[in-house]
Amino acid sequence: MSDPTSTILPVATGRATLVSFWRSLRRHPMLGWASVAASLAASAAAVVVPLLLGRLVDLVVAAGTTRSLLLTSAWILGAGFAAAVLTGASRWLVTEWGMRACADLREEVLDHALRMDSARLENAGSGDVAARVTEDVEQVTDSIRLAAGVFIALVTVVVTVAGFAALDWRIAVAFLVIVPVYALSLRRFTPRAKRLYAAERQAAAVRTQHLLTTFGGVRTVHAYGMQQRQSQRVERASRDAADARLRAVRGFLWFANMMNYAEAIGLTAVLFTGFLLVRSGDSSVGEVTAAALLFHRLFGPLGMLLMSFNDIQSAGAALARLVGVTEVDVPAGRAGELATRAPAGITAKSVWHRYADGPTVVHDVTIEIAEGESLAIVGESGAGKTTLAAILGGVFPAADGAVWLGGRLIGDLGPDDLRRTVGVVTQEVHVFAGTLADDLRLAAPHATDEQLHAALRLVDADGWVAALPAGLATRVGDGEHPITPGQAQQLALARIALLDPPIVVLDEASAEAGSAGAHQLELASQAVIRGRTAIVVAHRLTQAHACDRVAVMSRGRIVELGRPDDLVEAGGRYAELWAAWRR
Amino acid sequence: MTDSPAPAPTGRLIGGMFRRQRRDTALCAGFWSLHQVCEALVPVAIGVVIDQAVGTGSTTAMAWSVLGIFALFVALTMGWRFGFWFLSKAVVQESHSLRMQVVRRVLTGRGIRTNRQNGELLSIATSDTQAAAEMLELGSRMVSALIGLTVATVVLLRIDWSLGLGLVVGVPLLVLGLNALGPVVERHTSAQQQAIGRAAATASDLLRGLRPLRGFGGVDEAARRYRAASRTSLRANLGAVRAGATFVGVSTFTTGLLVTVVAALAGWFALQGRITVGELITIVGLATFISDPVLNLADCVFRLATARASAARVAEVLAAPEPAPSGGAAARPGALVLDDVHAPGLDGVSLTVRPGELLGVVTEQTVTADGITELLAGGRHPDRGEVTLADTPVRDLDVAALRRIVLVEPHAVDLFGATLREVLHTGDDHDDAAVRRSIAAACVDVLADGDEGLDRELLDRGLDLSGGQRQRLALARALLADRPITVLRDPTTAVDAVTEHAIAEGVREHRTGDARATVLVTTSAPLLDRCDRVVFVHAGRVAAVGRHRDLLARSAYAEVVLR
Repeated sequence: MSDPTSTILPVATGRATLVSFWRSLRRHPMLGWASVAASLAASAAAVVVPLLLGRLVDLVVAAGTTRSLLLTSAWILGAGFAAAVLTGASRWLVTEWGMRACADLREEVLDHALRMDSARLENAGSGDVAARVTEDVEQVTDSIRLAAGVFIALVTVVVTVAGFAALDWRIAVAFLVIVPVYALSLRRFTPRAKRLYAAERQAAAVRTQHLLTTFGGVRTVHAYGMQQRQSQRVERASRDAADARLRAVRGFLWFANMMNYAEAIGLTAVLFTGFLLVRSGDSSVGEVTAAALLFHRLFGPLGMLLMSFNDIQSAGAALARLVGVTEVDVPAGRAGELATRAPAGITAKSVWHRYADGPTVVHDVTIEIAEGESLAIVGESGAGKTTLAAILGGVFPAADGAVWLGGRLIGDLGPDDLRRTVGVVTQEVHVFAGTLADDLRLAAPHATDEQLHAALRLVDADGWVAALPAGLATRVGDGEHPITPGQAQQLALARIALLDPPIVVLDEASAEAGSAGAHQLELASQAVIRGRTAIVVAHRLTQAHACDRVAVMSRGRIVELGRPDDLVEAGGRYAELWAAWRR
Repeated sequence: MTDSPAPAPTGRLIGGMFRRQRRDTALCAGFWSLHQVCEALVPVAIGVVIDQAVGTGSTTAMAWSVLGIFALFVALTMGWRFGFWFLSKAVVQESHSLRMQVVRRVLTGRGIRTNRQNGELLSIATSDTQAAAEMLELGSRMVSALIGLTVATVVLLRIDWSLGLGLVVGVPLLVLGLNALGPVVERHTSAQQQAIGRAAATASDLLRGLRPLRGFGGVDEAARRYRAASRTSLRANLGAVRAGATFVGVSTFTTGLLVTVVAALAGWFALQGRITVGELITIVGLATFISDPVLNLADCVFRLATARASAARVAEVLAAPEPAPSGGAAARPGALVLDDVHAPGLDGVSLTVRPGELLGVVTEQTVTADGITELLAGGRHPDRGEVTLADTPVRDLDVAALRRIVLVEPHAVDLFGATLREVLHTGDDHDDAAVRRSIAAACVDVLADGDEGLDRELLDRGLDLSGGQRQRLALARALLADRPITVLRDPTTAVDAVTEHAIAEGVREHRTGDARATVLVTTSAPLLDRCDRVVFVHAGRVAAVGRHRDLLARSAYAEVVLR
C-alpha cells in the first residue's frame, strides 16, 4: 500500500471486492433471477413507449383514422402501465437483493473485526475499525438503493440499444459512437477517482476517530474547560474531510462534462444518420423520431449512471474497506471435540516477548503453576506484568517460547477451547450497552436469571443490583443508568464467574474502583479465584499477599518467586515493596 | 422520541441552513435552472431538426442543426457543472458547520443531557449532518425543476393553449398527489434510520469493549447480537424499500398517463391539421421531458422526508438542555466551601478547602466520594445546602470561569492528542521545562526519555500505554494545568506502592504555594500522610478532621485507610 499509515487495516483490491460481493449476491439466487427478469421486463416495456409514439407520428403523417390513433394511444397507455408496475417491482427486488447481500457482508465484517488478532486491531486504532463498521457499512447500505438504480439503468441502456436495432441497425451503429467517448473518459477518470475517493474516505476516518474520542471523553473536556481546543481539533479534521470531498467533486465534474458531450455527439449521430436514411428513403420520419426519442430517453439512465458514478466509486471504496476487513485472517473456531472443564495448571517455558519493533518486554520466563494454585505478579509499572499475564492467558501468543494450559500447548487450543479453559479480566473495563442481564449473558448466553444472581452474589454485587430501578433488566451502558467503575469491575468478575473456567487471569482487577471500593473488590476477586488456578496482576500488595505464591518482575524478568511470607523474610525486592506498602 | 420532535427547532435549523448558504444555493439553483431550460429545449430542438432538416432533406438545415445541438449542449453542460460545484460547496460547508455545532453543543458548558449513546451521537455528527445539509440540494433541484416545467409549459401554450393549460393544471395536481404519499414513506425512512443507528451503536459499543470481551470469551455471543441488530435494521430497510418502490411505481404510472394523454390529444390535433407534424413531435418530446422534472420533484419530496428526519435529530441535540445551567457571575479564586450539603451519600457535610493547603478527603463509601467530587466540580447542585467559591454560590458562577479556578480530574482517564506533548496540553501554552516538571512529579517522565522526547507519538487514545501510565499521564496533565484549586480523585489506584510514594511526594512539591489548594479524595495512606488536613466522612457526615497520623488512632478511619 502506498499509504503512509501502513498500520491501518488492509483495503481490498477492486477485483477482490467484486469477487467477494458477487459471492454475497449469489447466496440469494431466487431474488437474483427475479430481479434480472423484472428489470428486463420493465426496460422492455419502457422502450416500447417511444417506439409506439414514433408509430403515432407516422400515423399522423399518413393521415390515419381517429380509431387507429385511439388504438395506438391505448397501447401506449398499456405499455406505460406495465412499465410502471415492473419498474416498481424491479426497484424493490433489486434493492432487496443487494440489501440482503449487504447485511450478510456487514455481519461478516463485524465478525472478523471481533476476532481479528489483537496486535493488528490495536495498531489500526479503534477509530478505523469503528469507521468501517459504522460509516462504511452505512454508506454501502445507502448505496445499495443507488446501485439498484444503476443496475436498472444499465439494463435499460442494453434494451434500448436493442430497440435501436429493431428500428434500423445503422441507427444502432450511429448510437455506438458514444462508446469510445465514454471509454476514453472513464479510462482517464477511473484511476484518478480511485485516488480521490480513497483520500476522501481516509479523511473521513480520521474525522470519525476525533469525534469518537471527543464524545467518549466529554467529561475530561469539561473538567479542563478545553472545549475550544478540542473543537478545534475536530474542526481541523472535519475541514480536511470537507476539502478532500471537494477535491473529489472537482475530479468528478470533468468526467460529467465529458458525458454531456458524449450525449451531444450521440444525438447528432443519430439525427444525422436518420437524415441520410430518410433522404435515401430507407427510413420513415416516424422511425427517426422514435430513434431520437429513444436516445433522448436514454439521457435519464445515462445521466443516472454518470451522476452516481461518483457515489458508486466512493461506495466501492467503502466496500473495499469492508472486504479488506474480511480478508484479515482470523483464527478459525475448531469444530473438533471441546476440552471438558477439567482442572488445569499452567506451564511456561522460556517465554520471550516484544511488541513490533519495540524493546523486549518479557525475558526468558519459565514458570510452573500447579492446579488450583494462585500466583500474584507484582512489580513496577512497565515491568512486563500485563504482557506476561496476557501471554499466559492466551490473549496473544508470545514471540518465542511455549505455554501449556492443562497440559495442552496453547497454540493447539482453538478460540472456543481457549476460552473454556481460561478467563481473563483485562485492565480496561467496559459496560456493554443493553440490560444488565444482557451484559452478563455475553459471557454465558444460556445462563438463567438464578445463575446470574448467584454470580452477582459471589462478587458481592447483588445488593446494588437489587437496588437498581429495574434490577437485572435495568439498561446500562452509554447514556443509560450510570455504573461506577467499581461496579463495572464487579460485573467483569461476575462474567468470569459465569464463564466458570478452570484458570483465571486477573489484571489490575481493583485498579478502577478507587481505593474506597478496593477492599470490596479484593474480596470479590478472591471469591472468583477460589477453586481455580489463578494469575493475579496485583498493585495492592494485600491482594498479592493473599495468593499462594508471588512472582516479582523487574524489566521483563522474574527476579523473585516464592511464598509471600518467605519472600518477606528473605528481605529482597518483595520485602522492600511490602515495607513501603505497610508504611 | 424522534417521531414527535418540536417542529420549531427543526424549522429554524433548516431556515438557518438556507440563510447561511444563500449565495451558493442561489447560484446552484440559477445554473441548474439554465440546465433544465436547455434540457426542455432538447426535445424542441429534436422536433425542429426533424421538421426542418430530416423531413426536408436540406443539407444546410442539417448543418445548422448540428451546430445548434452543440451550442445547446455546451450551455446545458456548463449549467449543470457550475450548479453542481456551487451546490457541493454549500453542502460540504453546511454539513461541516452543522457537525461543528453538534460538537460544540456536546462540549459546551456542562454538556448536554441526552439519552443517546456515543455511537448515536457519532452517527448524528457524521451522517445526519450530511443528510440534513442535502436539504440544500433538494431546494435547488426543486427550484430548477419548477423552472424547467414552466419553460415547457410556455412552449406548449404557444403551440396549443388547451394542451398547455391542461399541463399547468395537471402537473401540480400530480405533484400534490404524490406529496400525499410522503408521510407513509417518512414513517418508513425514520424507522430505517433509527434501526441503522442502533446497529451502528451496537457495533461501536462492542468494539470499544473488545479487550474485555475477548477476555471472557464473549466474541461469539457479541457477533450473534450484532447479527440480530443487523437483521432488525435489514427488516426496517426492506420496509422502506417496499414503500419507496410503490412510490416509484405510482409516480412512473402517473407520468406515463400524462405523456399518453398529451400525445393522444396532440395526435388528434395533428390529424385535424390544427398543428404541424414538427409541433406534434415537439409536444410528444416535451411531454416525455416533463416527466423528468415531475419525477425530480417527486424524488425531492421523497428525500425531503429523510433529510427532515435527519435535521430533526440534529436539532434535537442542538436543543438538548444542560444538566445544570450556567450562571453569569465571574469566578474569583478563594476558599471552596461545602456548606451543609445533602446529596446521595451525603447527609449534611460541611468542609472548607483553604487556599494553599493540601486537603485529604476520606470516605467510607464510593457513592460519598462520588458525591463530594461532583459537588466540588460544580457538575451537580446539592439537594440541600450550598457550595460556594470565594463566598459566591457555585451555581451562580459562569462555568467557563469556574473551570479556570477549579479543576476536577475525572477518575476515568481520557487522553486527547497524538503526541505526549499534545496529551499534556489542555489549552494554555507551557514551556518544556514546566511539562517535564509535571511528568516528573507524576512519575511518568520515563515516557519522554526516548529519542522523540515530548513528541513521542501515542496510539489512539493512548491505548499503547499501561493503565498505570495512563493514570499518571492524566495526573501530570492536571498538575501542568496548575489551577488554583485542583481536585484529584484516587489518582494512584493503578500504580505500585513504591511509585505511589514517589507520586505523593511529587504532588506535594508541585502544589506548594499559597495560591494553590489541592484536594485528594482518596484512601491511599501515602497520599494522605502528606496532606495538611484530612477530612474523614463517615455515614454521610464529617466524623473527624485532623492530620493523617493523628486520625489513625480512630479505628473507623484506620480500617478504611490501612490495608
